[in-house]
Amino acid sequence: VKIIRELTVKNDLGLHTVPSTHILRILSPVDSTVMFTYQGATINAKSLTSLLALCAKKGAKIMAEIDGSDAEETMHKLEIAFNNKFGEKNEY
Amino acid sequence: MSIKLKEVHLKGVSICGGIAIGKPVFFNLSYETIPHFKIAKSEIKKEIKRYQNAWAICFKDIEIIQAQLKEEGNSQGAEILSAHLEILKDPLFKEGIEELIQKKALNSEHLLEETIQDYETKFKKNADDFFLERLKDIRDITRRLINYLRKTVRMSLVDLPHGSIVFSKDLAPSDTAEAQAGHIKAFVTEIGGKTSHAAIIARAKGIPFITNIDFKSLDQSKCEQAIVDGKVGKIILNPLKTTLSKYELLQEQLRKNVKEVEKLRLCETETIDGYQIKLAANLESLEEVQQLKRYRGNGVGLFRSEYVFLSRLRRFPTEDEQVLVYKEFLNVLNGLPLVIRTFDIGGDKYNDYVQINEEANPFLGCRALRLMLRERHIFKQQLRAILKATPFGNIHLLFPLISCLSELLQAKEILEEAKAELMEEGVPVENSLKIGCMIEVPSAALASDSLAKHCDFFSIGTNDLVQYTLAVDRGNPTMSYLYNPLHVSVIRLIKMVVNEARRNEIPVTLCGEIAADPRFTPLLLGLGIHELSMAPRYIPIIRQAVRSISIVDACELANHALTLSTAEEIENLLLNNFKRKSSSKLLKL
Repeated sequence: VKIIRELTVKNDLGLHTVPSTHILRILSPVDSTVMFTYQGATINAKSLTSLLALCAKKGAKIMAEIDGSDAEETMHKLEIAFNNKFGEKNEY
Repeated sequence: MSIKLKEVHLKGVSICGGIAIGKPVFFNLSYETIPHFKIAKSEIKKEIKRYQNAWAICFKDIEIIQAQLKEEGNSQGAEILSAHLEILKDPLFKEGIEELIQKKALNSEHLLEETIQDYETKFKKNADDFFLERLKDIRDITRRLINYLRKTVRMSLVDLPHGSIVFSKDLAPSDTAEAQAGHIKAFVTEIGGKTSHAAIIARAKGIPFITNIDFKSLDQSKCEQAIVDGKVGKIILNPLKTTLSKYELLQEQLRKNVKEVEKLRLCETETIDGYQIKLAANLESLEEVQQLKRYRGNGVGLFRSEYVFLSRLRRFPTEDEQVLVYKEFLNVLNGLPLVIRTFDIGGDKYNDYVQINEEANPFLGCRALRLMLRERHIFKQQLRAILKATPFGNIHLLFPLISCLSELLQAKEILEEAKAELMEEGVPVENSLKIGCMIEVPSAALASDSLAKHCDFFSIGTNDLVQYTLAVDRGNPTMSYLYNPLHVSVIRLIKMVVNEARRNEIPVTLCGEIAADPRFTPLLLGLGIHELSMAPRYIPIIRQAVRSISIVDACELANHALTLSTAEEIENLLLNNFKRKSSSKLLKL
């Protein structure tokens, strides 16, 4: 199965180290290949250095492409994580 | 002939305040040239192996520092290092380099350096300052790896002499993570930002830190002493006698102030309308007790007794070893209460020390008091040690993870047995030892009426209470969004426990992360919690929060919160209240 969907970065600080680590924890047990495309660059989302290199700030729209047997489930998990701002607490 | 050294003043940006006087040590992090050589076809396998070995040592090393930070209660730092471990597992560092060795037949240090430079170039194209700061994490790891490859012993801040002030072009998170407050007096760097991971970790440790200092032009051999004034971001090298005595006086004054206040043991934290709130500390080391005293905390609200032994000894301590440690703590506390939580092992902590059968749900399995009721000899030994220490200070005993009355009664029975044994042996024991019951399972909260009749105080552990009430594992990244201490159910349970405690006239303490968050303080006070226990470094900030609250308003707030139905509504209520009440400076302490 191949699913393509747009994910929006909602947390204040963007995809910095901690949110990217959060994404990795979701993706590391996943069989499917997961690619993110942002501003013309396509990267392997299972790599922390690649995720960081996207420099995706708050509001960035990332095209996520998941290909494999657990694509559906994985996309769902990613959507939840993005929507919940990777558990990042707002800075008050 | 002695050469007269010139006093030099440098101005930078303060990252962490405080005054330090010490010996400058120039910590050289820049690598000299990276070796570059060809690998013979026949040697390629060996070269890959060499790289893999360095990688594995590096991984282990970071894991150890991470465990240390966790023990120090520096969860932010531990999280940063867990990102480092992820970076290390990245294909770029793992298969990537191995493939390159195979393909290019060059040495791994060179390939690693080349790869990182490539990456940096790409990265810099679209990064802003905040993201550029993240490059340092990647540089940090590269540096470690290259050092292992060169088989040089990595120079570490641990090896520096006591009283050093570290001057460095830059500092990596793992450097500051290894530094010990007191041992390292201060950090001075050329580059670095307030949001850098190295800075976050240094602040958590309370080590003065100044950046944006240009010391390239300094003659390192002519720097014998330095003063770091973290408050204004100033460095004074080779201070004249007059300058030095001025700062020594200043430092002495600061120290005296701290001592003065330490003497005022009864200096309580009051709300605007004069309501007294006790602020105690959750801790596991003697250094933290010093911190607690500096911040005028009201004692130790939660002493995690397992850490001090299992992390240091890596086995269960003997009775005498325990007595010694408890006495040591009591001695430093000098009359302040020490609440000892009996060994909380199992679930995710220190499973290697006891035989626990493989469990499908360890958090619902044999952990904490349940385990101790099974391993009675270990439990009784600890109780004996605690009893033996009772004549030397103000000890309270706390049983973790009570889920029903019979567990509490069983634990008390073993305590009585231990007491009887000691009496027979003629060992003096303080008879008035207070016994507390941890409320961290919903069943205990719901049955708090009966528990209250059989113990002397309650301690609400919110971290586990939230997790068990909401059936959410907060370590699970896809579920952690459901983990919310503001869930109405949690607030109601806290209220219920407070009510039962009042009815039975026993005190309640609340420990757990929300005790250290000033946004929650008005709600907790309003719910009737009058003692909060937190990591010592949060005491000042919570004290400040308490001082801006009127108890009448807090009760109104809590009553309002109890009528709301969703966590979002409660969160908004608190947030609006918080914004109204305090300037945003509160958190920037």
